[in-house]
Amino acid sequence: MIATTSTNPGGFRLLLRLRGRLIRNRLAQAAEAAPLRMVTVVLFTSLIWYALYEMFDRIFVFLRMFREQSVVVIPYIFHIFFAAMTVLLSFSSAILTYSALFRRPEPAWLLAAPMRPRSVVAIVYLEAVFFASWSLVLLGLPLMVALGRVEQLPWYFYVTFLVAFIGFVPIPGAIGLLAAWSAAMWTPRSARRIFVVLAAATIVAATLWWARLWGASRADPDHWLSRFLAELGFLRGALLPSTWVTQAIRYSAEARPADAAFYLFVTVAHAVFLGWLAVGIVSRHVQPAFGRAQSSPTRTFGWGGRVTRIATDVLFCYLPRQVRCLILKDVRAFFRDPMQWSQLAILLGLLALYLLYLPRMHPDGFNLQWQGLICFLNYGAVVLILSTFTSRFVFPMISLEGRQIWLLGLWPVPRSTIVWAKFDFALAVTTLAAMLVTALSIRALELPLTLSLVHVAATLSSCVGLCGLAIGLGSRMPSYGESSGARIASSVGGTINLIASMILVLASLGLIGWLCYRSVFVLKTLSRFDAVNLGIYAAQIALGFGSGSLAMRIGVRHFTRSQF
Amino acid sequence: MSIRLEHVTKTFGRTTAVDDVSLDIRTGRVFAFLGPNGAGKTTTIKMMAGLLLPDHGRIEICGHPVSTDGFQAKSRMAYVPDQPFVYDKLTGREFLDFVVQIYNVPRDEASLRIDRYVELLRMGEFADQLAEGYSHGMKQRLVLAAALLHEPTVLVVDEPMVGLDPRTVRVVKDLFRERADAGHLVFMSTHTLEVAEALADEIAILHRGRIVAQGSLAQLRQQAARQQRLEDIFLQLTEEAELDRAAEAVHGMATPSETPDRPAPARTP
Repeated sequence: MIATTSTNPGGFRLLLRLRGRLIRNRLAQAAEAAPLRMVTVVLFTSLIWYALYEMFDRIFVFLRMFREQSVVVIPYIFHIFFAAMTVLLSFSSAILTYSALFRRPEPAWLLAAPMRPRSVVAIVYLEAVFFASWSLVLLGLPLMVALGRVEQLPWYFYVTFLVAFIGFVPIPGAIGLLAAWSAAMWTPRSARRIFVVLAAATIVAATLWWARLWGASRADPDHWLSRFLAELGFLRGALLPSTWVTQAIRYSAEARPADAAFYLFVTVAHAVFLGWLAVGIVSRHVQPAFGRAQSSPTRTFGWGGRVTRIATDVLFCYLPRQVRCLILKDVRAFFRDPMQWSQLAILLGLLALYLLYLPRMHPDGFNLQWQGLICFLNYGAVVLILSTFTSRFVFPMISLEGRQIWLLGLWPVPRSTIVWAKFDFALAVTTLAAMLVTALSIRALELPLTLSLVHVAATLSSCVGLCGLAIGLGSRMPSYGESSGARIASSVGGTINLIASMILVLASLGLIGWLCYRSVFVLKTLSRFDAVNLGIYAAQIALGFGSGSLAMRIGVRHFTRSQF
Repeated sequence: MSIRLEHVTKTFGRTTAVDDVSLDIRTGRVFAFLGPNGAGKTTTIKMMAGLLLPDHGRIEICGHPVSTDGFQAKSRMAYVPDQPFVYDKLTGREFLDFVVQIYNVPRDEASLRIDRYVELLRMGEFADQLAEGYSHGMKQRLVLAAALLHEPTVLVVDEPMVGLDPRTVRVVKDLFRERADAGHLVFMSTHTLEVAEALADEIAILHRGRIVAQGSLAQLRQQAARQQRLEDIFLQLTEEAELDRAAEAVHGMATPSETPDRPAPARTP
């Protein structure tokens, strides 16, 4: 009997309809099962969006005070913004496309069916463009709306920038698609690691370049702005996509619709062409790339495995051997997943870089006010970075053990030990990273001993608080059925943990800010404390340790009574 | 021939996963593909499904080369991987509906077939729930139904019985037999030797990427020179291949290469 079917010529439309159905089902399920979560996500997204809008609005109002300079400076802001977005979106598209095309089971299933590879690649490309462009929407829309409001621009400015955004994002998406395919073809063993390292190297290089540029320009106080902008001249290159988008938006703001339309056309035409080209190339050669990505030999970790064992034994020498074994598993998983360590390393690395450069930019040292302010801001940056890390990577740790509970549950140690081992591991990682940056901050600002101790103790108590919340709430509200850390982090429990972490961070920042303010403006010294400052100091320590230990008590109690 | 493999070789780095394998399998039979873990079964199947490209050799499905005429080859076959793939946020019925659209099954015929397989594989209770809550066995039933919806000439199944309850195992066995009797080919890779023994018209044993034996159960018994169960024959033949390899290593000389579609010479224990 001959099969009753033929190849599906409308595969792309079919996959598009499927994506629509998946989104509808997901939204319906979320609205029915977790309406609070949906409301929270919308609320927080709106809050972040509004905060960004307010910030950009104030920047543009400030720039308007210098009318002549703002005419020159504002286009540069857009050149820099879109150039940075080209790089960031290319990297995020590459990572998303690589995972979607070469790591998930769906493409294998679709490619084994009579589905055109072009349809599969095209849908993955569009999906990556869509998800990667969230950052542009989140950052770009408030930026443009703020500019439109401050400059009182006509309605077609808003239409232009919307079309320009939509026309622009496929360009970095196409670069990302080609990068993902190249990685699968030639470096399938360590593709994600390479993306992360390249992204980190690009960010560090850009930061160093920016710091050098800023420092060199400031050395010439009379013409620093013109010198600074001259150095940025290459960003206005006619062949750069960022230039086309900037010019379209700029001419629209200057009421020159014909010029704006020309650059819009250039942007959209290139986006369509590059998208078509990238999808064409990748779909034509997707099979060998897929084969290589699927069948590349697994990395071996003989040497790395020994290093992590020794490091764990040294760092956690005070713990029983059995507990160290459990921690060693987490240490290895942490270092072998670049997504985990890279986020912490990149963000704290940038902060460390800034702190290393700080003394060079102010060779005469800082006065009292600057010391207090920068110390407070550094602390704020560190705890914010730590809170994102604990919410995304520490919170899911207990849930991810759900599938191994048949092993851990039979382990001859109290169940509470498993939770405490996770806490010890998370605390060690966050404290080590945070203390390195704190030490650099103390060195850069030449803080006196008293404030140095405050800085160190506040950071430590925040680490305890954030790790305690993440592990404690992760044990209290686990998602054992879920295998994706990202999904666990965005579950109801994950959202509650994020909110709790944010409250802790804000409360700690309030206390430390108050302490710094009193030291600078009331006591007029950073070297000694009065009773009020000591009280604030004690309250901050108590807040971190108290919230962490309370969450851990709740989590341990729930975990020991859980049935799996 | 429904499936033809001609001198197919696939290497990963320095490992030869499939080594000069040739197979000619006709329709109207259940073909069991056996082998220890890491023997190269899944790699061979993935090459048949067009997911991996062979380094050497040629694969045809129903006369259509997979490498140059993949669409025609794939439209005549169905592939069920060892890890069943379903979309978590689709219901079972929505998933089946998506599959019939991929294969362009006519609308009226499609709904009849969906209803038939939902009933046959006893999916009525959960077919309208999201697949994210399915057990492994439920997913396995769903992907089997999805694979059969377009009435493929060649059904390639990797470990079909894992996770299924005894009643469904029986239904699937009957289904496979029925398909083979109706003139289709069922190619199954399995570790469940009892299933192969009960169901297969022809068996091939793959070991370290090479076919070490092929034929009906009776032929394999003859080859092993004793009346015994398939399990004993399997263990004996794979052990012999292991001994041959060890001998090669010791003497530093290659034994004459076996013609893949000819059984390896039997040895008495």
